[in-house]
Amino acid sequence: MPISEAHVGRTYEPTAPYEVSAAKIAEFAAALGDTNPAYAGDAPIAPPTFAAVIGAAAWDQLFADPELDLALHRVVHGDQTFVFHRPLKAGDRVVGVLGIDKVRCRGALEIVGVTVRVKTVDGDPVVDSSSTFVHTRSAS
Amino acid sequence: MNVEVGMRIGELTVSLTRADLVRYAGASTDFNPIHWSDRAAQALGLESVIAHGMLTMGAALRVVTDWAGDPAAVRRYAARFTKPVVVPDDDQGAQVRCVGTVTAVGDGVVTVSVEVTCGADKVLGAVTADVSIEGRE
Repeated sequence: MPISEAHVGRTYEPTAPYEVSAAKIAEFAAALGDTNPAYAGDAPIAPPTFAAVIGAAAWDQLFADPELDLALHRVVHGDQTFVFHRPLKAGDRVVGVLGIDKVRCRGALEIVGVTVRVKTVDGDPVVDSSSTFVHTRSAS
Repeated sequence: MNVEVGMRIGELTVSLTRADLVRYAGASTDFNPIHWSDRAAQALGLESVIAHGMLTMGAALRVVTDWAGDPAAVRRYAARFTKPVVVPDDDQGAQVRCVGTVTAVGDGVVTVSVEVTCGADKVLGAVTADVSIEGRE
């Protein structure tokens, strides 16, 4: 059985704790071509969309879930919303908790809405990352 | 700080080459092959490799953070990926144009909308950022 509306409300275990480093912040800012000084120096904060790094680890759980039968290479990102409680900064230890918010099936297209809640290992909210994916199911 | 609805906050053009996509894949750990393999992109009916939506979205936010100064002032950021940014395998890549405008001014929070286009295509839709202006002069 592939993904269906019955999977709405499913949540996954927190991702392995991720320690945000100054080096990774610098790498991410360089990949965005962004030289804002807030991303450099002794106590850098991460670019707001850095939450994608923790999000990607949480998304891996979705694509690894055999019950859903979703293939990453058949997915296009439809929309994205970040709600920031505070900036991620070097030294933060965070986890992502993914939940499935909505599923719509339209023929071969499956529209899946998920939210990854990024929190410190102590449970303080940092950023919520909500995404809609459009998955094209293979005809086979 | 005097902020009014309709005020233009800034604009920039971002060029995205295949090398930029590979760099972003590594930085973000999003290794979806549609962002580096023409074969995978074409299997989904795309013309060729496309940019990560999150790369375009992240790069476009610079219009807002350059204006705000402190990126920590951004409280919410949303976008729809309306059209893929097709990135040709050449040295020029795709040119993405971003123009930011104030669309609402509330109590300590300004909402900014960013028009993001590549050629004639609007590649991101409904791009909005809420920015705290508390404590700003």
